Amino acid sequence: MSVVNYGTREITCKIVYYGPGRSGKTTNLQHIYSKLPEERKGKMVSLATETDRTLFFDFLPLDLGTISGFATRFQLYTVPGQVYYAATRKLVLQGVDGVVFVADSQSRQLAENIESLQDLHLNLAEEGLDPRTLPLVMQYNKRDLPAAEISPIEELDETLNFRDVPYFSAIAVNGGGVFETLRSVASLVLSRLSAPAVGEA
Amino acid sequence: MAKEPNEQDAEEEKGGEFDDFMADISQEIAQRVESLDAKPKPTPQPAERKKTPAVPEAGVIVDWPNIADRMIEEMR
Repeated sequence: MSVVNYGTREITCKIVYYGPGRSGKTTNLQHIYSKLPEERKGKMVSLATETDRTLFFDFLPLDLGTISGFATRFQLYTVPGQVYYAATRKLVLQGVDGVVFVADSQSRQLAENIESLQDLHLNLAEEGLDPRTLPLVMQYNKRDLPAAEISPIEELDETLNFRDVPYFSAIAVNGGGVFETLRSVASLVLSRLSAPAVGEA
Repeated sequence: MAKEPNEQDAEEEKGGEFDDFMADISQEIAQRVESLDAKPKPTPQPAERKKTPAVPEAGVIVDWPNIADRMIEEMR
């Protein structure tokens, strides 16, 4: 995906929230949406089943207005975490500029976290994206659960964060850590901005 | 590196978090755009390929793998 376009003076970034089912990806987007000023509120597109599970994906366009002469837009997506929606996850990852991996901190969900992370790497590789260099931020969610039910941050990080990327603990349900995570991944994506070749702009 | 989650302040201004985010991102973009130089990079031109006929003319060997082959051919 073209991130910066000098011709139209636009910056567009696609950020995907990835992770196992029920880890809190949609909750992240819902919190961001709830904090948007009315004038910037577009439509958050969310397709869910009767039980509120993400069926296809969530999409939140974030129009940041004109910054330094560039119309800046962030497009936030989530993927359905359930294993059987593999094709959808692959589709949503197309043209991604940065990924937030939302891990469920519950100890019993560790295997699901690992499986989802492996799935992410596989899908990125199939899209021709290098999982070792793509901007990535880890978010360890549900830190408000009782200590006996969740893994320590250090343990999660040692198991999941082998790239040693920035990581954040979060309580997405009340917004804790949500914007910190978004700011971090946005910063990583923006640091990779490059001028387009003539003809692309 | 882990940041403690912020507890939500009920009286917090609704756009507060977003405004902070915007301020950081705006600064980041401004610095980045400045450092990029507004001049687009020239498109690298593909290296000119050596023109070789698809089918060599009869009796002419265009490409000699090594000097010994060429000498043998010359002596014929």
